[in-house]
Amino acid sequence: MPKWFTPAVLVCAVMFAVTPFVIANAPYESTMGLVQKVFYYHMPSAWVFLTASVVCGIASARFLASGDARHDRTALAAAEMAVLFGLITLVTGPLWARKAWGTWWIWDARITSSLVGWMIAWAYLILRQYGGPGSEKLAAGLALFGMANVPFIYVSVNYWRTIHPATTVVPKLPFSMGFPLLFCLASFYLLMFLLMKLRVRVAEQQARLDAIYLSLDEQA
Amino acid sequence: MRTSLRVIAVALFVVSGFGWIIEGPPSLMAQEQPKQQEEFTPIDQLPPQEQLPAAPLLVGAYAFVLLMLFGYMFIVSRRLTVIQDEVDRLDRETKRTG
Repeated sequence: MPKWFTPAVLVCAVMFAVTPFVIANAPYESTMGLVQKVFYYHMPSAWVFLTASVVCGIASARFLASGDARHDRTALAAAEMAVLFGLITLVTGPLWARKAWGTWWIWDARITSSLVGWMIAWAYLILRQYGGPGSEKLAAGLALFGMANVPFIYVSVNYWRTIHPATTVVPKLPFSMGFPLLFCLASFYLLMFLLMKLRVRVAEQQARLDAIYLSLDEQA
Repeated sequence: MRTSLRVIAVALFVVSGFGWIIEGPPSLMAQEQPKQQEEFTPIDQLPPQEQLPAAPLLVGAYAFVLLMLFGYMFIVSRRLTVIQDEVDRLDRETKRTG
């Protein structure tokens, strides 16, 4: 791993250790009270989920165009990020919704399309795991659909009837709420970058191991 | 990756159980649309069994996030260590045998 990796991990760990204090100092929301503080982890997770889906799609497109295995490894790492942070979003959301809306789940545009996007990322990983030879390119094609779903997820709250807060909420946040959100967003994005770096390293070493085994088989 | 999928499946199972503990068996397939309100009732006038506390939900959400993140980091780090050790071992053997 590069020399900057360990210091970056330490910075990320400190940032996450500080987030509870930053969030605790944020004011309560007038209608939802304490439970609204899930927002400071729920929204950054959602943003990282959408970003990872886009990264997976772009890397998959580059892999399909060039056949370069580095893009494939990046796409695989990004798909795992999408599944991980998508799961966090889809669990923290209902825990917040139960108190705020009186229901665990509602089949509105934003939540349903997010679930579909998460299932596409999940399908990418299952295809890579069990699809056999050639599954890299099939999964790359699937990742393009996942990326195409992202704009729909984002604008759904503005164009369809939904109980989910609209995209206008975040730009209108006062500083007392906006700063904790931005701090958590920075923490989550740094974490996503570091986890992707780690996961790509695992894939690189796995490829190197496979090449060594292949050369040993040829020599035998 | 198979281990990662297993961990995520176990995490989903645990969260479902957490949901059951909070409020009995929920039905995710049923559309529980919020009912139209005909009057406003202050929360302190509701009977205790109808007042849903926020703290368990909030703590549960943060605990789930940290569990998932630490779990994933642990799995990936361990896998990298195993693969790296195997690569180093094979490199040494290859150099020794020429």
